[in-house]
Amino acid sequence: MIQLFHVSKHYQRRRALSDINLHIEKGEFVLLMGPSGAGKTTLLRLLFCSETPDEGQILVQNRNIARLRSSDVPYFRRTMGFIFQDFRLLPKKNAFDNVSIPLVVQGLSSVDIRRRVTEALRAVSMEHKKESLPATLSAGEQQRVCIARAIVNGPIVLLADEPTGNLDSDLTSEIMELFKAINARGTTVVLATHNAQVVEQVKRRVVTLNQGQLVSDSGGKS
Amino acid sequence: MKRLTYLLKETLANIRLNRTTTVIAVGTTAFTLACFGVFLLLYLNLKGVVSSLQEDIQVIIYLQDGLSGREIAGLRQRLRKEPEVGTISYVSKDQALKEFREQFPSEQDLLDGLRANPLPGSLIVTILPQFRSPDGVKRWADRQKGLPGVDQVQYSRDWIESLEIVIGYLELASVAIGALLAAASITIIASTIRLTLYARRDEIEILSLIGATRAFIRVPYLLEGAILGATGGALSVAILKGGFEFFKSRLGASGHFLGVDATFGFLPVQVSVVLVAVGLFLGSTGSFLSLLQVGRTKS
Repeated sequence: MIQLFHVSKHYQRRRALSDINLHIEKGEFVLLMGPSGAGKTTLLRLLFCSETPDEGQILVQNRNIARLRSSDVPYFRRTMGFIFQDFRLLPKKNAFDNVSIPLVVQGLSSVDIRRRVTEALRAVSMEHKKESLPATLSAGEQQRVCIARAIVNGPIVLLADEPTGNLDSDLTSEIMELFKAINARGTTVVLATHNAQVVEQVKRRVVTLNQGQLVSDSGGKS
Repeated sequence: MKRLTYLLKETLANIRLNRTTTVIAVGTTAFTLACFGVFLLLYLNLKGVVSSLQEDIQVIIYLQDGLSGREIAGLRQRLRKEPEVGTISYVSKDQALKEFREQFPSEQDLLDGLRANPLPGSLIVTILPQFRSPDGVKRWADRQKGLPGVDQVQYSRDWIESLEIVIGYLELASVAIGALLAAASITIIASTIRLTLYARRDEIEILSLIGATRAFIRVPYLLEGAILGATGGALSVAILKGGFEFFKSRLGASGHFLGVDATFGFLPVQVSVVLVAVGLFLGSTGSFLSLLQVGRTKS
């Protein structure tokens, strides 16, 4: 599903990732662990084509995304979902409209959009707040809307960058249960965190990065 | 359909976002195009005046005194063979005197003191449209001066030629001022769009991350520029029309240009539409220039 071969990335003179080799199978749930600056976000940005590697190759579903043309990037991203620590919801649009945007972008009909957005909001238990603007929602609710937006187009891979970074312990637990449910439906999940509670709760494969290097992998074939 | 609705909604949201700069951009475009329109109005009206005057161009061939009817007929015959000649009419000495008396009744005393009729007979020749260029009429008139029985040849080209020179300068000034003001308009619309882009940079990034293509992200901003430009264009036509009617009413009321105001016309509908289209083009160009900086990166 996802394969990284000798991937390196530098920002000016700083090494963000160095010679990373990593294989993730379809349907896996992988936690990327490590302190701030370890390279977790860089790795996710590479997988999401927000960055290109300086060295090495990245295959997603046997497609070399390091060589993807910029005009193909939007279509590639439509096969993935991305969740941010700071939610990144459009402030002037209500929950329903925020979740519907990936589908509007793809040109789906109004009927299909309504059906799929309702399903996604129901999956994160936010159907009753579909008319609410982000500013009127709690942090946990905003993250749920963000998750609904990421899964609404049925992605094959879900990438999450510190999705519980702004949430308290109870909310973290709730959100992680959502991720487990999404993974149980067959979606590959790669989640960056430095929260030990998350590792404890999910109990899945843990890949640890430190100073741009892969230092441990609890269960993969790296 | 949903996508189209979304893009239109976003465009209107962009316009509402920076109201002040939107008003400035529309105002500048309107002012720019109105200035250009003033030149266009002058140019088109003067050109109309010249072409209507050209239709009336006549060459008057004054005949020597004492020519017999046969000699005059012979001269007419000879002129009729010239390819440039349209119509020829003969004004006899008596007819010329009668017309003079009718046109200048207060000058009767001048003529009463004379024993003989001092006015010459003449042939009035109209030149065909294809030969009415300044050089063509002059060359033809000069050629007739040497003909037997011809005393003098006159034609009213001089001041029409001067008017044509003025029109030439006006044409140049329109292009130069139009280009300068168009650049100003593009710059201001580009700045307006840049402000919108800056205000919505987070949204642009989010759209990009969820798989929106460059075209999808750019269309609302292009539409915004086009709408601002076209609105400015329409406003300029309204300003010009208002100004034109005011000017025309003042001209009529003053009485100094009796009849001239009736020949002045506003821009034809097609030209007004072109003015709005130019506004639309300027707006789109401004947007396009601002958008060149967006989407250069993948994220």
